[in-house]
Amino acid sequence: MVFELLLEKILIPPVLAPLIYPGLGVALATVLIILWLERKLTARVQMRIGPYYVARRLHGAIQLLADGTRFFFQEVIVPARVDVIPFLLAPALALAAIAAAFTVIPGGPGLQGFYTPYSLLVALAALAVSPLLLVLMGWASNNKFAIIGSAREALLNASYEPLLFTTALAMAILYGTLDLNQMVAYQADLGIIGLILNPLAAILFFIAMVAATDRIPFDIVMGEQEIVHGPFTEYTGIGYGLVMALDYIKLYALAMMYSIIFLGGWLPATTPLLAAIVLYVKTFIVMTVAVFLRTVYGRLRLDTALNILWSKLIPLALVSVALSTVVSYTLGW
Amino acid sequence: MTSLSPAVEARDVGTHEGLRVVELYVGPQHPASGHMRLIVYLDGDIIVRVDPDLGWVHRTMEKLAETREYVRIIPLFERMTIIDSCNITLPLVEAYEKLLGVDPPPRAKYLRTILCEINRIASHLYGLGIGGIFLNHSTMYMWAFGDREVFVSLAEMLTGARLTHSYVIPGGVRRDLPQGFRDAFEKAKRYMLKRLKEYDKIFYNNPVIRSRLENVGVLEGKRAVELGVVGPNLRASRVRHDVRMTGYAAYDDLDFEPIVGEYGDSLERIWVRLREIEASLDLIEKALNNLPEGPFIADRFYKLLTPAHKKIVETQKRVKFPALFANLKLPKGEAIGRAEAGRGEITYYVVSDGTDKPYRVRCVSPSFRNAILFIELAPGHRLMDLPAIYASIDYFPPEADR
Repeated sequence: MVFELLLEKILIPPVLAPLIYPGLGVALATVLIILWLERKLTARVQMRIGPYYVARRLHGAIQLLADGTRFFFQEVIVPARVDVIPFLLAPALALAAIAAAFTVIPGGPGLQGFYTPYSLLVALAALAVSPLLLVLMGWASNNKFAIIGSAREALLNASYEPLLFTTALAMAILYGTLDLNQMVAYQADLGIIGLILNPLAAILFFIAMVAATDRIPFDIVMGEQEIVHGPFTEYTGIGYGLVMALDYIKLYALAMMYSIIFLGGWLPATTPLLAAIVLYVKTFIVMTVAVFLRTVYGRLRLDTALNILWSKLIPLALVSVALSTVVSYTLGW
Repeated sequence: MTSLSPAVEARDVGTHEGLRVVELYVGPQHPASGHMRLIVYLDGDIIVRVDPDLGWVHRTMEKLAETREYVRIIPLFERMTIIDSCNITLPLVEAYEKLLGVDPPPRAKYLRTILCEINRIASHLYGLGIGGIFLNHSTMYMWAFGDREVFVSLAEMLTGARLTHSYVIPGGVRRDLPQGFRDAFEKAKRYMLKRLKEYDKIFYNNPVIRSRLENVGVLEGKRAVELGVVGPNLRASRVRHDVRMTGYAAYDDLDFEPIVGEYGDSLERIWVRLREIEASLDLIEKALNNLPEGPFIADRFYKLLTPAHKKIVETQKRVKFPALFANLKLPKGEAIGRAEAGRGEITYYVVSDGTDKPYRVRCVSPSFRNAILFIELAPGHRLMDLPAIYASIDYFPPEADR
């Protein structure tokens, strides 16, 4: 009786969306799967086997779960000279900021925490808060490597966010709306996905996504070979596990937005369950492409990355805005 | 926490030589540096000065050598660079031979050359792999280390050991060429040439890697000579110098021609290594084709063997030394041995006082001579260029520290 009542309370979109799908529950599960898949794919390219010994029959699929369990029970070391409160709070706040994006990203038709006509903007704004907390982590750590990492994050953040927002603006102009649900509806009406309507914006948004989530070739913030682990150098135990997952959860959120904006969201499915599955599969494929880049590229130098972002990609993003205007004018919206 | 003076906080920049700089300790447990420490002084993102702090894996090899018999010194010095062990010990043995007045038979010289070149390929692949991971290109790292296995297996086939071969002995080599080695090498060569094309695609011509390496750490040829830089790092700066040109072992007969770069930046240094792998494959093939018949151990030592041991040499094609050999006494005098190891020229200076142990063995290793490049190349570049420079000079701490 109580259980049924609880189920009734949980299975409504305002709770289901942020907490289970597309929110935290599925996001964390996806992090575990995508990390395993990334390691397996990379291993295949690199003539290795990859994770294998934890659950051999599943080819090591629960390796990350084992690692996570270890992080849980590891000692959390708080170095003597850190600013304790921001040091401990920043990872949790960063996760909260990213999780806030899941309240407006629809996981299916109408499956979102609350309805707003500005869901694209709200989601991007929520995701844009997390880099600030990364900077805070490095500052609070009081470690030279962490501070250099934070400075890099600050520089890089100021360069990829304009790109992300400009390409999102291009698509908003094209569809004439800032609502992610409406965007899917327009793509359904037109029968053409956003990727074909504005391929330039699609490519640029993807690059900005890779840069925003610190994937190779933009993994400058955690440059292991120069600055140990960037802003996360001093984190141990569960804090370390959390900060490692942050980028992947952010990648999941951005990949889901990418699928909605450029790949037609849950189309061609229309029933809620099928729609959720279709959108998830699209998201997963986008994530896989993003993580697969690490087998091909190395790490860009900071100044080269900033140069590429500011002098090549952001002008191109402005071109994509113009392209969107032309396309939307042609389509008569 | 609050009681500490603010000066010790990492967030505060210090001053050094009148500049407002951050002093960054890279190593000795830093993921990129490996058994060495680089003390980097940073002004913003620009490196002002780098102090390489060597000696973390110093094993007093030269002093230990004074307490050991001559033959036992060979495996000792091999530990300096186990990935390049034939190149590292060959000049030592050649110095012994100069003192003893023994000339190894031609077949032994060719076999030494073959193993030296196999070692060089393995060593360059190791360097490329480390270079890859310095730029976070894990595919290059894994590929180079995986393909190095091919040449480690070839060396194992020839000598019986994967890394520390102890193959070169005074007066010859320990084993003859095994059956099937030529076929195994043909296969390895075909495979490696195919892989080198793939390396070019994924690493050397990769736009991201190029942007990291091009115009970074440019070393002028004249300056390289002044600093005493050796090996591929020197040749990349358009200096045509390679100890193999002096024609030790069998290099005299093989028309050896060094690979010389043009510009001397980090990319060029990687390029020289890639092309040297090709050149080494050709050299091994040439050596195998010209391999003379005959004994592989000098007659003077063969005569000392007991009949049972002689039979082993005849039937199993390997030398099993009597205990007597450990007490080898070198005539009084001094000798120098030089060779081109994977990372550059290695020099030994052996002083003998007529006993079974040397009076002094001096060894100058290529990595030690190349360590000065950190001081020379890094200043003026950005912090992110430091791994690129490190990757390109192929520095190997155990070799430098001895």
